[in-house]
Amino acid sequence: MDAYLGAITTGDETWLNQKFVHTAEPFKDNGDGTGAYALYKILYDAVAQGLIEEDYTTTDWEGCKGMINNGEIGAMVLGSWAIAQMKAAGENPDDIGYMPFPITVGGQQYTTAGPDYCFGINVNATDDNKAAAMTFVKFMVEESGWCDFEGGYPISKTAPTSFVFDGVNVVTNVTALTGEEDIMNEMNAESELSFNAGGDAKIQAIVEAAATGSQSFEDIMADWTAKWNAAQEELGVEVSY
Amino acid sequence: MAAQANRVGTHKKTFPQWLRSRKGQQAIIIVAFMIIPLALLFTFTYLPFGEMVGYSFMKMKYIGKREFVGWKNYASVFSRKDCFSALKLSLYYMGGSIVQLVLALYLATVLSFKVKGGNIFKGFMFFPYLINGIAIGFIFKFFYTRGFVFDTVLQWCGFELDNLPYWLKDQSINNISLVGTSVWRYFGQNMVLFIGAIMSVDSELYEAAMLDGANRFQQFIYIILPSIKTIVTLNVILSITGSLSAFEPPYVITDGANGTGTYFIVMHQIAHTQQKVGLASAMAVVLLLIIFAATILQKLFFKYVFKNSEDEDFNATKRRDRKLAKQMARKAGR
Repeated sequence: MDAYLGAITTGDETWLNQKFVHTAEPFKDNGDGTGAYALYKILYDAVAQGLIEEDYTTTDWEGCKGMINNGEIGAMVLGSWAIAQMKAAGENPDDIGYMPFPITVGGQQYTTAGPDYCFGINVNATDDNKAAAMTFVKFMVEESGWCDFEGGYPISKTAPTSFVFDGVNVVTNVTALTGEEDIMNEMNAESELSFNAGGDAKIQAIVEAAATGSQSFEDIMADWTAKWNAAQEELGVEVSY
Repeated sequence: MAAQANRVGTHKKTFPQWLRSRKGQQAIIIVAFMIIPLALLFTFTYLPFGEMVGYSFMKMKYIGKREFVGWKNYASVFSRKDCFSALKLSLYYMGGSIVQLVLALYLATVLSFKVKGGNIFKGFMFFPYLINGIAIGFIFKFFYTRGFVFDTVLQWCGFELDNLPYWLKDQSINNISLVGTSVWRYFGQNMVLFIGAIMSVDSELYEAAMLDGANRFQQFIYIILPSIKTIVTLNVILSITGSLSAFEPPYVITDGANGTGTYFIVMHQIAHTQQKVGLASAMAVVLLLIIFAATILQKLFFKYVFKNSEDEDFNATKRRDRKLAKQMARKAGR
């Protein structure tokens, strides 16, 4: 779920890596269904209303693929890499579709794109080999359609793709400012919230709190804000937003 | 040289001469055999442990700068909510280990005497101990899944699916489910140890007891239990230590979520996900001290429970000898 922080929830591609660590109340309720608050609230509400599987402690990945293919599961929160796997998992590939995360910022929906693995050509190879490798890479990127098979977003404007992004802004979260590159890491560790760094425990805590009613969503967000602020103080991070 | 060493009246030997004598040779062999294991023990156990105690006084990640903070980490361990509440879960595991011991003792007593198919039963019951802990975790993950193995078996016995609880989701019983996994795994090993110990009891004692009219249960309490008390004590100490440091069942089956996170799991998350190595080291040292305290308490407890006239206290023997000597001296002096 942390992967959807950033441009998707705020419409701002500098938020995740530049503004997040300097924000005093990153999890506050904006009142208009945007922001990190709205992101995690969707999860909390889904669990509290009983819209998830009955026994969330024992579901398994392979079983889920078959279930969404034959319609037992309505929606799953995944990246586009999963589309091909879901289509292949059963007999109804045409039932699988892909939609952007349901948050609208200022009338616009956003989705983020990020690079996958890269192709490299050995600089010490012979010129013949380099030319052959270059031709191969050109083929893979522009003509092979491999990117589309695997549910990727093509890097070349002319490559075949089945994605239709009408009305959705595709952005990339920009990197941190120079000199501030490791603040996010330090904040993650100090606050123990670990966004995009293995912090699954806090997401699990949301699910459990919603399922058992042991904590209200506001309390959870207040708790996170307190930890975030304590970490900012401990590390001497300037709070400017 | 040997003649020199054996000459009557020669007590002083130089060191090279001593090395060549029989005692010296024995000493060399002992040292040579022990030096490699001791070196390994030091390098891989004591040295890292010493470094870890050093880490517990610092604020650090695995790489990067280290800052000395003194007792702050220890204060955090005691003031954080999640560390000590995780220890409460150890009580479940301790309860489980008592069940395990009782079960193992009972089965060992039954199987020590001639039972039809006794060896097959022993084999089946010991088998779980041989399986890898991670594999067992996966087996039980599917065992407890709703509508799978356990639920199906119970349905054959007549239970309705709707009446059965969620074994891993329901926070009031998920720890008991995990403890059950642990008991299943270890009771066979305990049982085999006890069988070995019970076999060493002299069979004439049983005949004598039966002539005196003791039934099986009395035989157990008065003959078997005292004879195997060393093994029982050892097993209790190991079980308590194991309960305090339970890690595999919760980690593999539920990943420590849903209220099953034991102390070790909290420590693992703090050390590896949050990268607070200093705090995790402090947690480890605190756990070690708790285990020391628990072991000492148990030793004292067993000393008083199993005290009988057979093995007298060493000090009591000395006192008695001194008293006798004094009496002798008085008689001689009179």
